[in-house]
Amino acid sequence: MLKIEQLKFSYPVTTSKAKKNTSNTHPMCFDLTVNAGEILSIVGPSGSGKSTLLNLIAGFDKAKSGEILLHGQDINHYDISKRPVTTVFQEHNLFPHLDVFTNIAIGIQPSLKLSYDEKLEINLALEQVGLFEYSSRKPAELSGGQRQRVAIARALVRKHEVLLLDEPLAALGPAMREEIIELLKQIVINENIMALLVSHQPSDAILASERCAFINEGKVLIIDETKQLLQHPQQAEIKAYLGLS
Amino acid sequence: MLNLANRKTATGLFVVVLLAFFISAPLLSLFFASNLLGRQFTQAQAVTLSFWNNPYLQRVIVFSLLQAGLSTLLSVSLGLIVARAFARFGKFPLRHIILSLFGLPLVVPAIVAVLGIISVYGSHGWLPLGSKLYGLTGILLAHLFFNLPLAIRLLLPVWQSIPQQHWRISSQLSMTTRQQWKHLEWPALREALPGVVLLIFMLCLTSFAVVLSLGGGPKSTTLEVAIYQSLRFDFDPSLAVVLSLLQLGISLLLALLATKLTYKPDVEATLNTFNTQIPHSSSKLFLGLLIAVASVFVLSPLLAMIIEAFQGPINEVLTDSKLWQAAAFSLMIGLCAGLISVSLAWSLLSASTQHAYWGNKKLASLFELSGSIIYVVPPLVIGTGLFILLSQTINVFEWAIPLVIIINGLMGLPFVIRTLGPAIRQHTMRYQRLCAGLDLHGWQRFKQIDFPLLRKPIGLSMALVTSMAMGDLGVIALFGTPETATLPLLLYQRLSAYQIPQATITAVFLLMSCLVTFWLLEHFIGKQQKAQYA
Amino acid sequence: MRYTPFILPVLFSLFFQTASAVDPNQSKPILTVYTYNSFTSDWGPGPKIKEAFEKNCGCTLKYVSLEDGVSLLSRLKLEGKNTKADIVLGLDTNLTAEAEATGLFAPHEMTIKKSSLPNEWKNPSFLPYDFGYFAFVYDKTKLKKPPTSLKELVEDKDAPKILIQDPRTSTPGLGLLLWVKKVYGDKANEAWAKLAPRIVTVSKGWSEAYGLFLKGEAPMVLSYTTSPAYHIISEKKDNYAAAKFSEGHYQQIEVAGLIKSSKQAELGKEFLTFMLSEDFQSLIPTTNWMYPASLSKDKLPDAYKSLVDPSPALLFDETEVAKNRKAWVKEWLNTLAK
Repeated sequence: MLKIEQLKFSYPVTTSKAKKNTSNTHPMCFDLTVNAGEILSIVGPSGSGKSTLLNLIAGFDKAKSGEILLHGQDINHYDISKRPVTTVFQEHNLFPHLDVFTNIAIGIQPSLKLSYDEKLEINLALEQVGLFEYSSRKPAELSGGQRQRVAIARALVRKHEVLLLDEPLAALGPAMREEIIELLKQIVINENIMALLVSHQPSDAILASERCAFINEGKVLIIDETKQLLQHPQQAEIKAYLGLS
Repeated sequence: MLNLANRKTATGLFVVVLLAFFISAPLLSLFFASNLLGRQFTQAQAVTLSFWNNPYLQRVIVFSLLQAGLSTLLSVSLGLIVARAFARFGKFPLRHIILSLFGLPLVVPAIVAVLGIISVYGSHGWLPLGSKLYGLTGILLAHLFFNLPLAIRLLLPVWQSIPQQHWRISSQLSMTTRQQWKHLEWPALREALPGVVLLIFMLCLTSFAVVLSLGGGPKSTTLEVAIYQSLRFDFDPSLAVVLSLLQLGISLLLALLATKLTYKPDVEATLNTFNTQIPHSSSKLFLGLLIAVASVFVLSPLLAMIIEAFQGPINEVLTDSKLWQAAAFSLMIGLCAGLISVSLAWSLLSASTQHAYWGNKKLASLFELSGSIIYVVPPLVIGTGLFILLSQTINVFEWAIPLVIIINGLMGLPFVIRTLGPAIRQHTMRYQRLCAGLDLHGWQRFKQIDFPLLRKPIGLSMALVTSMAMGDLGVIALFGTPETATLPLLLYQRLSAYQIPQATITAVFLLMSCLVTFWLLEHFIGKQQKAQYA
Repeated sequence: MRYTPFILPVLFSLFFQTASAVDPNQSKPILTVYTYNSFTSDWGPGPKIKEAFEKNCGCTLKYVSLEDGVSLLSRLKLEGKNTKADIVLGLDTNLTAEAEATGLFAPHEMTIKKSSLPNEWKNPSFLPYDFGYFAFVYDKTKLKKPPTSLKELVEDKDAPKILIQDPRTSTPGLGLLLWVKKVYGDKANEAWAKLAPRIVTVSKGWSEAYGLFLKGEAPMVLSYTTSPAYHIISEKKDNYAAAKFSEGHYQQIEVAGLIKSSKQAELGKEFLTFMLSEDFQSLIPTTNWMYPASLSKDKLPDAYKSLVDPSPALLFDETEVAKNRKAWVKEWLNTLAK
């Protein structure tokens, strides 16, 4: 179980124009829980802190205070590389100069010195995401959906308990989204992984997860059953977000 | 968790301290040298105090700023016009070749360029200017030769960065050329211009061989030349220090101004920019003429040199084994300087990008600025200062070559930072989190990810610094190496032995060596390569 | 691992350091001679002199070559007592007073037996090895009537345009400054003001100006009376000549001296003796293109007999030059910079 308690963060105040334009300058504080074998969807307006939450869990941003408890152990002070976490981003998950196989291999062994078992494992993962024949292709020769599957295959071979999905579906068409969501659900259950899925589309959240967290202005407003939360919203903020008001 | 990033900062800071050392140590040791040599210690103060009343110094400063300002104004404004012509003219068969040829002047040794310019504009040249050539006209011509193509190459990408969609919108709104300029081109250029202006201004301010050869006499004394004379002839180190500080101060002021005016976007735009078609109403003939005139202007001095060389005793020069030894030696010095420059710049840029990523802009620009600013301290000052400092403890002659390499490497830094900087920034924005998440760091990350993805700009940087250092005369002449001559030194020896035709051939050989080295490095380091399994 | 990028260049540099530090003839004593670049280049006298001297001395002669005489002096001031030089060769009489003031030179305690110099040599610290006279060189086929005196060059508004060198950075440049001073005295400033419009350019050193002259940038260049000898001997061209000026020509005497702190004082003296021997002196006319300081006239190459007679030789006392150089240069600067 992944439990996040009073995880606090605020962006450094800068004078740059770029930062002024975004609204996530307010202090943030997160509390939530994810169970093993579960995908928790994260929805909310842009700039509300969804990606920041994932960055904090992965360690890309450093929380001021609070705890990230994995099976009761606080991993907040771990180095990025020591955290049992894998992230799949919206784009640029793959290195353009490496082929599919190597892109996965580099997730296990940066030196690319692979044992027989590791190679086998990569091939198994490729098969699992349905890309076994594509192993020597370059990312540029794949579709957007295929590229995301390679990233998921890499997450598979890394065998980390926490999977952070930072809008991995945003650049995909509807049919492709469903396909990837099904793949993710299957993997999360099979491998007993804790996954957080940041998504823009309420429909994705409904399809992917039982539970859903709505984030607003740097705080978890509510965690509820996904369908309940998104199809029959009670809160004004969620209504505003869905355009129902 | 910030362990890795902290190490980057530490390495970056280490390089900054190193650079600060290479700026301040020579200045300090020169300053105190005037005391050691039995001169009055107060002389430097006297110079500083009487500064505003010293007509010579005033003239020098006014002329330095005037020639650098005019050169920059001409190079950038003409550069804008020609770059715009290139952008609008669209594709044509020679376009790629011309644009790569425009990269040449940056690596042409100043002494070769000056000879070429005299061949074209001298009394017996293709376009004789007579004795008007020697003076401000000559200086401006030479600076334009060096900096016009540079400006074009730096500004042209700005047009390519304007999204295709914007051009389409502009044509649907039937914007006039002037409106296009106002709403599309100028806003994009405004961000790039301060950096380009600053770079070219600094190049012109510190230009040395050009001013000495084409300046025409004491009328055209710049700060850089005055520093040289104060050290070389009067041997007045304190005056050299004061003048160097002046030059450093002026450049720092301008650099700060430029950083204030520059607004670097946090994330690079990833819009489709390839093969942009620009709708325009300008006459194709006029645009073509602009491009042709610019090309002829840039290429004619080089061509004139080559033609002249072919009329000389080519065999005699080319069969001289000294020539090839000198070429090999120059290449070694160039490669080492390139390696030093690229690794120092890499550390600075890594640290800078890291801090830019965290929104820590001030520190980020400190890292980049420290790399660029060293360029305005004359190599002669660094060299002489280090010489005094080191000669107390070690045998400087044995260390002459390492020192020459290091100083040349330092002088290349601003170019590497400009070439590699944007690429590293974009690279970091894309892959920083991914690499951190995959626990890729250190050598493995460099070997598997950074180098393969950045080999193009790395190759270009390496090629630039190497060929620049190959053409260097100033630093090597200072230390006076006995057995081994570099190509520029050999060229100079030929000149001082009455052998003008042979010198011309040596100059063209030097030019060709720089170009071939540039091309080879750019292509061999810059090419694509497959990942390697062990 | 993070420091790999630093280690590599440092290793490279060290390689060069050791490469230059290891000397194959370490058992032999080394005599270090500071001199200028054109002396040690393949076309200068340096290589042959090294060969001839090493034959008998049982030592290694090592050159350290700097840009010119002026940089030799700067380098000595820079190094002071730490200098690695045993011999300094290539200063001229306009620099000797200042060089002596450094206190680095030892008396040579020698006399020149067969001096070819027009005047007697008395300096206790330096010995001359060659000398020459400054003159304006022109192409006979292009300039039919060169000026016949310095006064004509200065005062005739239609006199040919000239290329000269900067007295702050080059010895011929300083030579012309002193030449004009010698002829015009207190009126030197006015002379420069009259000459100024006909100066095409003031170059940093001799080679730049001479190169421009050969490229045809101006009809006359400040050089030496002996310059045409190069074109006659090496290029078989006799169209270049030096214009004879009736006031006489300013003289330049190039000298060498022994460093006081040298550990090779004996070898050093041996070198100075060798310098005045015929072996050394006979190389000078066709490599350094100057008159040897101690060689009988009949041993000069034929081409030298066709050169103009520079007499009377003009020369300031060296202490006078040392005393006034800065002020005179400043004067010159203010006149020409207007």
